Amino acid sequence: MSGVLSAGRIAGLLGLGLSALLPMVLLAIWSVGDRWFYPALWPSRLTAESWRTLLSGEGRLWAAGATSMLLAAGTGAIACIVALPVGRALARLDGWRGHLGAAMTFLPVAAPPVALATGLQFSFLSLGLGGRPIGVLLAHAVPAVAYVSLYFTGVFTGFDTRVEEEARSLGASAGQTFRFITLPLLRRPLAEGFALGFLISWAQMPLTLLIGGGAVRTLPIEVFAFVEAGQDRIAATGALVLLVPALVALAAARLAARGTEVAAL
Amino acid sequence: MTAAALLIEGLSAPFGSAPGLEDLSFEVRSGERFVLVGASGAGKTTLLRAIAGLAPGTARRMEVAGHDVAPLPPERRDVVYLQQTPLLFPHLTVGGNVGFPLRVRKVARAEAAERVQQALSAVHLESFADRMPRTLSGGQRHRVALARAIVARPAVLLLDEPFASLDPSLRQEVREAVIAIQREYGPALVLVTHDLDEAGLLGDQVGVLLGRRLAQVDRPAQLFGKPASLEVARFLGIPNEVPGRVAEPGCFQSALGALRVSRTIPAGPAIALFRPEAVRITERGSMSAAVVELRHRVHQTTAIVDVGGTRLEVALGGTRPPAVRSLVQLTIDPDQIMTFPPP
Repeated sequence: MSGVLSAGRIAGLLGLGLSALLPMVLLAIWSVGDRWFYPALWPSRLTAESWRTLLSGEGRLWAAGATSMLLAAGTGAIACIVALPVGRALARLDGWRGHLGAAMTFLPVAAPPVALATGLQFSFLSLGLGGRPIGVLLAHAVPAVAYVSLYFTGVFTGFDTRVEEEARSLGASAGQTFRFITLPLLRRPLAEGFALGFLISWAQMPLTLLIGGGAVRTLPIEVFAFVEAGQDRIAATGALVLLVPALVALAAARLAARGTEVAAL
Repeated sequence: MTAAALLIEGLSAPFGSAPGLEDLSFEVRSGERFVLVGASGAGKTTLLRAIAGLAPGTARRMEVAGHDVAPLPPERRDVVYLQQTPLLFPHLTVGGNVGFPLRVRKVARAEAAERVQQALSAVHLESFADRMPRTLSGGQRHRVALARAIVARPAVLLLDEPFASLDPSLRQEVREAVIAIQREYGPALVLVTHDLDEAGLLGDQVGVLLGRRLAQVDRPAQLFGKPASLEVARFLGIPNEVPGRVAEPGCFQSALGALRVSRTIPAGPAIALFRPEAVRITERGSMSAAVVELRHRVHQTTAIVDVGGTRLEVALGGTRPPAVRSLVQLTIDPDQIMTFPPP
């Protein structure tokens, strides 16, 4: 019967949930654990030192978090602004033009990350953007635009443009149609596109390292540095902080989606 | 003399990348209803979209209320195009939908609210202003779309098969709403339909679009009574078609014998067409026929009869249907026989 999950499916869902949840529980314990050595199952002492440092606004994690937040928000915005017209155009291209357009748009996604990062590093250094936040922001935007364009292509494939024609025929200019009709109807895809671009930047490591050259310190870079330095408690705290905006971005996208409809009635 | 609300002269519009409509001309005055009929794929929707500025089209003259609209974008043509399926804006309330044309024209809020209420009253949906489109029935959506189309009082209203997707009772409801609205606001109305009865019922003029051009534009009585060509007569669905020749004025010779005809073309090969109503079963007819079958429809019953190998459809009117395989006598009204040269 539909709507009722079988025992196998419940077990599968539980397994999936636990595989995502267990590492986070471990991180949470690690972020407050002191003197936790193998084979002990539990840290010998608990401390909130790393959280206190973080919440007091001192230390590298806080600054790195702020940098990551600005870069991710900027990347999400750029990705939406660029990908919206790109996705719309791709959805309307037929035949070889469509294939060529899609291939060109998705090339940054198809290329291995190291190849992409190396290529971008050469060009950004020659443009004087290396080691600067603006350079890192633009570098993050490259794969984000590609992914969000892919997403918007799907959105516009199912978008009924006759609703825009209806608005034009009723007296709305192209700008008014976009503002009063298209934009509200695309609230959900735009929120999801922004969240996608945000998350691509938020988790980005290779591009930040190569373009930022160590001068632009984001949260993933700091967490990685703490892990390398053996400061597991601070690294775990940073890793948990990394999770928060990701979850918030996804939740916000879902909330923004409420009551919106992509296609017209 | 006042300018026509819509004047189209020499309009051509492509079907995508293929050649499309060619050299179409007609005009519609304020308060007049122009009904466009034609086979599927004849280009009726293309024509409406070209007039609305939503599809490419070129014309020697395309004027709305005396103004050349050919170079103008859709929103500045004073023409509203209503698609076959009403596309309400799903994120706006019924009031928001109806008020949309006023909002984009920056009409003052108080005046807009009053006009929205008037438009909703015209379609008997006064209390629906706060409802969302998804909560409406099909007929209600149609009526909201109509209210939205007329609220800005456009000079020309283009309706693309507005009744096609409605069941008979809703069809009647929406049709009456259209007529009432047009009487009240008086826009020129161009309406596409597949239904010839509807065309006759609604149209002050009916245009027949066949083979990428307007084959005939006439008043309904004139069009149905005197189709201008064989293709128009065939499109009108006149079922009795008899090949033969006009031997002399007033005489058509065919497998049915020599028929007296009131209006004929010059002597030569010809095709005669006449409606089932032109044929009567009488006691002393001019020809004998065998009844092959009876066809029962909502408004009429007809008999298919065989006259020496030629099949004719005969309207039975109020008479009792004859038995199948019985022999009957027929007379054909010469005033109702139309002759055309063969294609």
